[in-house]
Amino acid sequence: MIYLDNAATTAPDAGAVAAAMKYLQAEFYNPSALYRAGFSAHRAVEEARKNISALIAPQGGYELIFTASGSEADNQALFSSVRRGNFVTTEGEHAAVYNTAKELAKRGIEVRFAKLLADGRVDVADLLAKVDEKTSLVSVIHVNNETGAVNDVAEISARVKKASKAIFHSDGVQAFGKLPFTLGGGVDLYTISAHKIGGVRGVAALLRRKGCRLDPLVFGGGQENGLRSGTENTFAIKQFEFAAKKKFDRLHGDLEHVRALNRMAREALDERLFEIISSEEASPYILSVAAKGLRGEVLLHMLDDAGVMVGTGSACSSKNKYSRVIAACGWNERYAEGVLRLSFFASNTPEETERAVAVINECARKLAERMN
Amino acid sequence: MERERVIIVRYCEIHLKGKNRGYFEKVFMNNLEKALTGIRHEMKKPSGRYIVEKFDEARTDEIIDRLRKVFGTHSLSAGYQVDAEMGAIYDTVRMVAPESGSFKVQANRGDKTFPLNSMQINAEIGGRLLKDKPGLCVDVHSPQSVICVDIRENGKALVFSEFVKGAGGMPVGTSGKGMLLLSGGIDSPVAGYMIAKRGMKLDAIHFHSYPYTNMQAREKVEDLARKLSVYTGGLILHVASVTHIQEAIHKNCPDEMMITLLRRFMMRIAERVSERVGAQCIVTGESLGQVASQTVEGMTSSNAVVRLLPVLRPLVGFDKTEIIERARMIGTYETSVLPYEDCCTVFLPKHPLIRPDLKKVVQAERKLDVEGLIAESLEGIEEVRI
Repeated sequence: MIYLDNAATTAPDAGAVAAAMKYLQAEFYNPSALYRAGFSAHRAVEEARKNISALIAPQGGYELIFTASGSEADNQALFSSVRRGNFVTTEGEHAAVYNTAKELAKRGIEVRFAKLLADGRVDVADLLAKVDEKTSLVSVIHVNNETGAVNDVAEISARVKKASKAIFHSDGVQAFGKLPFTLGGGVDLYTISAHKIGGVRGVAALLRRKGCRLDPLVFGGGQENGLRSGTENTFAIKQFEFAAKKKFDRLHGDLEHVRALNRMAREALDERLFEIISSEEASPYILSVAAKGLRGEVLLHMLDDAGVMVGTGSACSSKNKYSRVIAACGWNERYAEGVLRLSFFASNTPEETERAVAVINECARKLAERMN
Repeated sequence: MERERVIIVRYCEIHLKGKNRGYFEKVFMNNLEKALTGIRHEMKKPSGRYIVEKFDEARTDEIIDRLRKVFGTHSLSAGYQVDAEMGAIYDTVRMVAPESGSFKVQANRGDKTFPLNSMQINAEIGGRLLKDKPGLCVDVHSPQSVICVDIRENGKALVFSEFVKGAGGMPVGTSGKGMLLLSGGIDSPVAGYMIAKRGMKLDAIHFHSYPYTNMQAREKVEDLARKLSVYTGGLILHVASVTHIQEAIHKNCPDEMMITLLRRFMMRIAERVSERVGAQCIVTGESLGQVASQTVEGMTSSNAVVRLLPVLRPLVGFDKTEIIERARMIGTYETSVLPYEDCCTVFLPKHPLIRPDLKKVVQAERKLDVEGLIAESLEGIEEVRI
């Protein structure tokens, strides 16, 4: 099987798993315990916190709070920051922000969604026009999980800060460890996750600019400085640390490697069958394409049977025909129904990419024949 | 004094069955036993009811919940079994009786050698209760609670006061076997429930069109079958692909005939599978006029390909709201509304035929290799034991 759904999750890095294994077994102790073994586990967690922070915020100025998922970190950022006034976000957010925004709207907060440009980035002029003195939070996704569109969050956050006192949050789950980026400027809160870069599921983090207000979402024993209670998952945290360090060490090399795979796929996809959705400037880790007039999920099943695993814009159902993000970019039904998402990782080879694209072309051609 | 928790199960309609009664009772008892698989118990059958004994008291509610869903069950009572002796009986009555409100005692003396007759038992127990619980008063016409005392022939007495309504109907297995067309929708599980309630054993057949439908849709149908199987005493789900049939119709026949022709294929396949497993009829969830294909002309068109078996449509005269109400009651509604594509919505024409003309349908179908397509579908059929 060829796995091209790395934006959904990546295989846990085996070396990082092996290095962290002792925290799952021999050194399983509760980091809050007062005996030496507990304190040692605490030290291990603090070391991970310091090391991961250093990767994304080398200048300091940020504090890292471990959470159990990227969705949880997004929820904490939103529920903590949006207390009154309005909340400005975009139509290109991951569900963890988008559906939380819907929930906030239900609770009486005015939510304003900024439009997307055709390439999937937020329309910054529209976003800024929606921000006013009553805006309590602005949240803009760094790299969109469906199109790979990259928002310049450093620039956007700086402009938001000029226009208002709003807190600025960004979901950086698809950017962290993949694109060169360090925190600074106007970004107050930033979400990262382990399992998109070779970490295991069950651990993620929210980075907070020091001084920015943040309230807990989970209350209890007061772990994470009282900001996220719950006994720390030392194994997952350490494995995250090792995987992240490895990924950052190779960030530029991986980026070039993945860029080459992306380019190869773009060139080899049969243009009579496919339209490329992701712009040339998008993150090369994500390549969204639309099979013209075909249903993405049907094609996905055929690819699965033929040994290629890819993602699709959204689940196929009579009620939910296609992705809101793809539609927000202005693609009509004929394209939006046929979206496939190919997402790469450093472990993918040119040979398997070439093979996968040949299979994708062949399956789409067969399906078009069967349907017409 | 030994006081044992028991559950009394009463049945309905079986008493109407004259000489076949023994057979009906045997099937019913087997179904009750099957419903209690995995729970330690003993079941006795004195005349006119069943008594479940020797079970873990903590599982009383679970046992009642399982048994009330067995078709043929009229009502159930959780009560106590004690020695048939007035002191023990009264102590138990006092325990189950409320502290206040109106009541009556209703004794039934199966053992005619018991020293008091029914009226005397009522009077004796009622009198003592009034003394011991001053908040109680007697109302023989419409009491708030009825305390039943049942003197059995084995030297034991049953005392109970709660009644739980059973699913009613006839024991599954006493009215033959049917083949239910189970889609992923709201109607077909209800149709299965209705027909099983009349005592019919069911197999089900589901049609998918992978890769146009997905694995979640298949899982959903298995979930529905599992929920239905609580009432049908297990069932076998046959899963058949109609992918190539739909593609052939799409390529060769007018678009608006997709559903009409597809349903004819489904009926043919269902009949062949029925013959294979000994089912004597086909059961569908159609309701007259509900959707374009469920007109009398649509039904005529699909009936026309069934060679021998009757097609039962237990929901034919039901409104959608009535069907939904029943789906909620039997617990299938929540699963049915999960939004997965089913094969009827793939290649869905914008304007399906509402009143298909049988002659035109037959003519359109001539372009297809009907037997070849059916054989291919039958060959790939999967059986899932639910």
